[in-house]
Amino acid sequence: MQKRLPLNKIAGYLFVIASALIMLVPFLTTVFNSLKTYKQYMQFPPEWLPNPTQWSNYTTVWEQANFSSYTINSLIVAILSVIGALLSSSMIAFAFARLRFPFRDTLFMIVLGTMMIPGIVTIVPQFIIFKNLGLLDTLAPLWILEWLGQPFAIFLMRQAFLNIPKDYEEAAKLDGCNPFQIYWRVFLPMCKPSLATLAVFTFMGKWNEILAPVIYLISDENFTLPIGILSLSGQYKTEDQLLVAGALISLIPILIVFLFAEKYFVEGSKTSGLK
Amino acid sequence: MKKKRFLSVLGMIGLAAALLVSGCSSQSSTQQGDKVELYMGYSSDPPTKKKMEEIIAKFEQSHPHIKIKTMTAPYDDFYQKLTTQIAAGNAPDLWQSDGTKVFGYAQRGAILDITDYVTKEINKDELNGLEFNKDADGKYWGVPQGIQVGALFYNKDLFDKAGVPYPTADWTWDDLKAASVKLTLDANGKNADDPAFDKKSVKQYGFAFFGSSRGAFNILKAYGGGVLDPTLTKSIINSPENKKAVEWMVDGMQRKLFPNPADLKAFQSNFKAFLSGAVAMQVDIYAATTSMNGAGLNYDVAPMPKGPDGKRFAPVIANSWVINKKAEEQKVKAAKEWITYWTTSDEAQKEWTEVGEAIPVKKSVANSEMFLNPATKPENKKVFLETLEFAGTIDTNAVFTEWVKVFTDNLAELFMDKYGTDEFITKTDQGIQKVLDDFFKKK
Repeated sequence: MQKRLPLNKIAGYLFVIASALIMLVPFLTTVFNSLKTYKQYMQFPPEWLPNPTQWSNYTTVWEQANFSSYTINSLIVAILSVIGALLSSSMIAFAFARLRFPFRDTLFMIVLGTMMIPGIVTIVPQFIIFKNLGLLDTLAPLWILEWLGQPFAIFLMRQAFLNIPKDYEEAAKLDGCNPFQIYWRVFLPMCKPSLATLAVFTFMGKWNEILAPVIYLISDENFTLPIGILSLSGQYKTEDQLLVAGALISLIPILIVFLFAEKYFVEGSKTSGLK
Repeated sequence: MKKKRFLSVLGMIGLAAALLVSGCSSQSSTQQGDKVELYMGYSSDPPTKKKMEEIIAKFEQSHPHIKIKTMTAPYDDFYQKLTTQIAAGNAPDLWQSDGTKVFGYAQRGAILDITDYVTKEINKDELNGLEFNKDADGKYWGVPQGIQVGALFYNKDLFDKAGVPYPTADWTWDDLKAASVKLTLDANGKNADDPAFDKKSVKQYGFAFFGSSRGAFNILKAYGGGVLDPTLTKSIINSPENKKAVEWMVDGMQRKLFPNPADLKAFQSNFKAFLSGAVAMQVDIYAATTSMNGAGLNYDVAPMPKGPDGKRFAPVIANSWVINKKAEEQKVKAAKEWITYWTTSDEAQKEWTEVGEAIPVKKSVANSEMFLNPATKPENKKVFLETLEFAGTIDTNAVFTEWVKVFTDNLAELFMDKYGTDEFITKTDQGIQKVLDDFFKKK
């Protein structure tokens, strides 16, 4: 019996390879662009491969954008934000999902309603509040809001809690758990995928955030990574190849976080209907 | 079990502590001993930041009673931050303002009228560009930090290849168009004069213009037209001179001698067209020399071409030091000491000139070999200094950004053949007047 390559299988592979190329080419272009000289970067029509390969862009950008100290600040902000978001939002979400109190649903609507206000509108009042609290030029304004609950995170966690059958709650109650124990010992462990999703979202958002650091930070030693990368762009001349190199370096932590959380993350996206 | 309870308690404590600690830290006091702490803002990139820090260190050495605290960020973010700070009442005491924004701050009451200081303590004959910060009432709002002035940049290699003589000081805009015809090439290397020229596959353009200081504004002015009247509160778009200038531009776009907004988009950034050697001429300001040198371009500069009646116009932007209206008296005093140092110290001036981003404000330094150095491109740097004699501001007022947006958006539609010249003129005239009235009439 002669072995025949099934036609649909070939078509399938071709389709997958083509899709992979569509994803890969822009990324590779970015990598190659980060290895060009300014002169080569400015060439038109552009050459795809860097020639000569300018590896020193990475060391230059590391020094110029002050990566070593900015990375630490960015990590502090991102990690504190993740902890804050996970604790506060899940706690609030638990209350909205499981506890009974007057005006519960109205309050939840109000929380969701705040999502409709564009963030830029509240920048000046927020700035004045932080100024009066004496928190300007500290990292606090960048992560502290996450400790007070974020509407999107609350919504996400509430959906997750609502999916847990009431029987678990009742069983825990019979065993003598108080509401906090039910939340901490029963509900949280059951919602790991949602927590992982939330952690990745928060981490990525904070890691890449640019507006708040620009507005609240003044001293060099408090700057976060996005400011470092942005500070490479000048009013009159921007070394684009350095900018690209910097952006690629700052991608690494996000990749790491994503790889660790991937298993839960994909599951979480499925159950919460997010992609 | 116990461990888990411990963890939960720890979480609660952590949350409470975080809130408490961050709430308690207080702002450091702004003054130590009899030292004045001057809070200064400037926009920067890595080279300018490094240079500014060096100059500040030298200033602090010679002015031991002043300590400078800085706030700096890249251009766009700097102004975003500054706007927030002004609204919240804690902007720097002194900042370096883009020349196009000085009157905006003045008319919104954010900066100090420094007419008294300028007339009494600044030697006007020694400085470039002081008059550009004087408003219609004769008040001074800033002192130049660095000057930008426009000129015609041309790619020598492309001129040589086409066998076209370089631009001269006698050029009119029509001469520029005539040269553009020979410098515009299609994919087969045929120029725009050739009957076989293929408009659909242009790979090299004669002349590019875009934006405000690099754009149509200069041509309108050279033709005797303009955008705003001298009070900067009324649109003068609707004039026969402007119509003539606009028709000149549209003709060039239709013959594909000039890239239209869509053609420029193909280059990723408007600037890349000239930088990559795909455009032979472009109007740009002095600062453009940094990126052109970086790209290794073989170029030089010529004065801006003349209009049909011999009128010449070049844009000038005097980036300036301005003082916060709300700054305390002793800080205002310190700020003035800094401005005096900046404008009079040869040391500071030379250091700043090294960055290569602006024409020095001190005339003696601008005329020195250091600035005019023929070893670095462009060779003909004297053109910039000579241009200062006839250059003018680009109608910067409190609503500069807003009216420029109406102007450039409508121009783009005109160049993309969305409508004709007459419709462009009436539409832009009304649009700009509305922007002006919305601000000045309400005031």
